[in-house]
Amino acid sequence: MKLLNFVTVLGFLKKEFVQVLRDPRMRIILMVIPMMQMSVFGLAISTEVKNIKLGTIYNPNDSVFRRIEERSFSSKWFIPAIGRGTLNDLNSDPLEQIRSGRADAVLISPPGGITKAIERGEGTVQLLIDASNVIRAQSIERYMQSIINEVIRDEFHIVAPTPINFDVRILYNPALESAIFMVPGTMAMILCIVTILLTSMSIAREKEMGTFEMIISAPVKTWEVLLGKTIPFILIGLINAASIYMLAIIVFKVPMKGLYWQLAMATLAFIITTVSIGTLISTFAKNQQQAMMGGFIFLFLSNLLAGIMFPLDNMPLIMKTAAYMNPMTYFVKLLRNIMLKGGSPELVWTYVGILVAMAMFTATVSYKRFHHTLD
Amino acid sequence: MNLQFNFKRALSIAKKEKFHIMRDPFTLTMATILPVLLVLIFGLAIEFNVKDIGLTVHDSDRTFSSRKLVEVFSSSQYFNINPSRGSIVDAINDLDSERSKASLIIEPEFEHNLLAHGNTKAQFLLDGADNSTAGVILGYLGGIQKAANFKLTGTLVKEPIELKTRYLFNPELSSPWFIVPGLAVVVIAILSILLTALTVAREWENGSMELLLSTPVQPLEIIIGKLIPYTVIGLAAVLLVVLVAILGFGIPFAGNIMLFGIGSLIFLIACLAQGMLISVLIRTQQLSMQIAMVTGLLPSLLLSGFIFPLESMPKVFQNFTSILPSKWFMIISRGIFLKGADFIDLKLPFLGLFLLCSILIITATKKFKKDLEP
Repeated sequence: MKLLNFVTVLGFLKKEFVQVLRDPRMRIILMVIPMMQMSVFGLAISTEVKNIKLGTIYNPNDSVFRRIEERSFSSKWFIPAIGRGTLNDLNSDPLEQIRSGRADAVLISPPGGITKAIERGEGTVQLLIDASNVIRAQSIERYMQSIINEVIRDEFHIVAPTPINFDVRILYNPALESAIFMVPGTMAMILCIVTILLTSMSIAREKEMGTFEMIISAPVKTWEVLLGKTIPFILIGLINAASIYMLAIIVFKVPMKGLYWQLAMATLAFIITTVSIGTLISTFAKNQQQAMMGGFIFLFLSNLLAGIMFPLDNMPLIMKTAAYMNPMTYFVKLLRNIMLKGGSPELVWTYVGILVAMAMFTATVSYKRFHHTLD
Repeated sequence: MNLQFNFKRALSIAKKEKFHIMRDPFTLTMATILPVLLVLIFGLAIEFNVKDIGLTVHDSDRTFSSRKLVEVFSSSQYFNINPSRGSIVDAINDLDSERSKASLIIEPEFEHNLLAHGNTKAQFLLDGADNSTAGVILGYLGGIQKAANFKLTGTLVKEPIELKTRYLFNPELSSPWFIVPGLAVVVIAILSILLTALTVAREWENGSMELLLSTPVQPLEIIIGKLIPYTVIGLAAVLLVVLVAILGFGIPFAGNIMLFGIGSLIFLIACLAQGMLISVLIRTQQLSMQIAMVTGLLPSLLLSGFIFPLESMPKVFQNFTSILPSKWFMIISRGIFLKGADFIDLKLPFLGLFLLCSILIITATKKFKKDLEP
């Protein structure tokens, strides 16, 4: 008896492809939407803090303060607060400006102006910041501090002596552009969503429609069913990956410093893992709604715990452990390492190895559960 | 378009849908418990204050001053020192293989230059791939430099004028205060879209839609009737999330709870209606689900202003995000929670949310009507 009948598997492949791609809307969703998402997120998302609405309260005769204000607005960071005309007078309430959202930050001059304060040798410029967005608040303070330092240096020629200096070099992403860092992350998210959803829903659908019974009664082996059900989705995932990578490298100019075969290997390992996880979810689900819920839980947790939006290093130990059980974590690291840093062989082999292990583990568990369902 | 509406008939649809939901306890539990669970997990997990940054130190000077400099880094509580494994090349390899985020390279002349010229330099290599973490580390470096100057030479670097910052609404820059009100919006948006995305499609696939169509019930009644039970579930989820935010995370609820309630209601209905519209248009569950995820998950996470500031997006995309209910409710949620904003401050987001909600319900009804006619 043959272990695997290729004709049977091929038959399944055909059926599955026809079923998935029969609906022209599905073809669009599978082929066009990932590229559209990639473009929108690639162009729109930025972690750089810009367009900060700045209100100022100062005496109009204070020329130094005015220089600070001018320099703020000519930098790419700050824009005038809404309705600033009224803000200029000393009586307007800065708290109210921020609370109502007309300003993100308000800079308040020391009494008597900056020049006098420096002559006195004491005095502070106050900066009120809307800290309801923590990341933004910290950046606003950093930007304002550097602008004030620059203006004071230019106006008063006071240079604070600094015997110890750092010669800072930023590697891999010298301009600190967020797109270069974010695009590999969004690529992983998009690939993960497509493959998980397709696989988990497909088998649940057969269960709901009752066609699953027919498969069971046919003279086929579990392996054949499983391969026939998963290979199409692996192929679709790979095609998606290729188109997304092309877009990232050609349009978004994400550097590709590493080797393409490393990228391909990492992608294949990741997609096999997610397809196996999708299959696993579908063995638990009784119908498509449950498959969807299961898929959602996995996607939400894995997307947020992959170090794409939030750095993993700062998380508590339990969450860090969970994050390191997430295949996305390794895939995102692989993508970034291969694309931005040229792929350190040590890291690439370790992480691809981990992904392969995860793929084998989930595939085995799905096989067992699937077998169980079939009997 | 026939917008005939009989509340009694809508209620019977609601009742029917309720049975449907009750029959699937898994989905019901998920819909109510999951938002709280996710908010709790990520509220605890997400921390923006970067700590324990791996720093490879390569000290070829090995003098009192260079050791003192390393000590400033290690005692700053931001950095974890990884001693160099030999050559300078390793200091760079550590960044490649992600053993460290930064490398400090001290050349042999470090102390000599400080004593002879009163001015010395150390090289700081930083992994810039993650631009936001790199930005934070650069921010720390300013403070480290000040501390190093003081410790090594006794010079107190004092700016001629001091900038005093007051952080309003979140004085300690607590990450959960920032994350939780936003995450609640994201989780509830996605779940609501998913919940209704399959309802109508399922009835088409199972054939029960034909039964429903043979009764005198009108499209608007079906839509409203199907929305009611899910809105109740959604409100329960919102209530639980708010309780966890206040009691679990100690986030002050600065604004008016009624206003927040009204906002949540409109928001919920808008998201549920979005799912409903998908379901009405698509009619197959597999495809509905794909579209629900595409229009729900990533846009709510990435384009709602949750983490990535809308203000930094190009104008086109800023305008584009206005079609997302979660963008508007994000402003309302954070505004009411932390800033205590009132209706006047939030009139624009409320208007946006209300318009979206109406458009979605009307479109779903209209498209539904078209389906009724053969």
